[in-house]
Amino acid sequence: MFAFESVFQCIFAPSSPRIWGTTENADNALSTNTSVVVPSDPAPPYMEVYYPVYYPSPSIARTGNQLTEDEQVKIALRIGLIQNLPEGKYGDCEINTECVICMIDFVVGDHVRYLPCLHTYHVRCIDDWLMRRFTCPSCMEPVDTGTFDWI
Amino acid sequence: MALKFNRNKHNSKIILDGERWERRLQKELMSLVREPPPGVVVDSDQGENLSLWTINMTGAEGTLYEGEHFTLQFKFSPKYPFDSPEVTFIGPNIPVHPHVYSNGHICLSILTDDWSPALSVQTVCLSIVSMLSSCKEKKRPPDNSFYVKTCNKNPKKTKWWYHDDTV
Ligand SMILES: [Zn+2]
Ligand SMILES: [Zn+2]
Repeated sequence: MFAFESVFQCIFAPSSPRIWGTTENADNALSTNTSVVVPSDPAPPYMEVYYPVYYPSPSIARTGNQLTEDEQVKIALRIGLIQNLPEGKYGDCEINTECVICMIDFVVGDHVRYLPCLHTYHVRCIDDWLMRRFTCPSCMEPVDTGTFDWI
Repeated sequence: MALKFNRNKHNSKIILDGERWERRLQKELMSLVREPPPGVVVDSDQGENLSLWTINMTGAEGTLYEGEHFTLQFKFSPKYPFDSPEVTFIGPNIPVHPHVYSNGHICLSILTDDWSPALSVQTVCLSIVSMLSSCKEKKRPPDNSFYVKTCNKNPKKTKWWYHDDTV
């Protein structure tokens, strides 16, 4: 499944402080929540308790009030796409026997989501991942939703 | 336009759901102790909260690292397996390899860009074993001294460029 034999030439990117900075900020946002400029809207009360974190791109983590408008649109669309993926109750005769995200065997009746590649996961497991990256964890295929490939 | 983000089933949960991921780590540890990849030895006692593992590795026979002993450290964030583990070589013997910096940082795309929650400690170990075994010449990465002087302590903070292998 994964090409272990393919190794890569290492050259890190000293000339891209922009990317380094972004990662740094994202990290601070998670741990201290102080160093990122917070846009005008005050945080809704629940934020003070939960700090839900969004991933406009895989390496960028922000709380809801730190998102730009573009990122808000992108994430709202992504939530819509995820909710449109088929879900159902795990049945008797399915191909996948284990959810590879939590590594727990499916039990008949589990609430599962089916990706277009036919890999199956618990809804709560795969949705957390799809909010970060729109790919199938098992085959690494982009989740093809037909219309919104650019998300 | 300002969209309002409500707390829904897509967020907040990861932090509150630690138990499920501790179970996964426990399970990974047991299977790694039972069926370790060749040359890998894992102690089943990895401390209380399972967030820091030490794994011993011996260079495979017939490779440039035959008989050498290495130690790998795995650090797991509370968001594992959505976040990749932070994996470094530690201890007195860091393998001399074109993808391993002298401070123990490893340049391997599955540890950053190509991480997926379907990967595991087992697959990462296999991948590192294979990376060492396929090495043709023991040498440090070309930018080793600059990198080691300037990098962040956490290798995941490095923006790596993964080029096709030309070693
Ligand atoms: Zn699951
Ligand atoms: Zn798939």
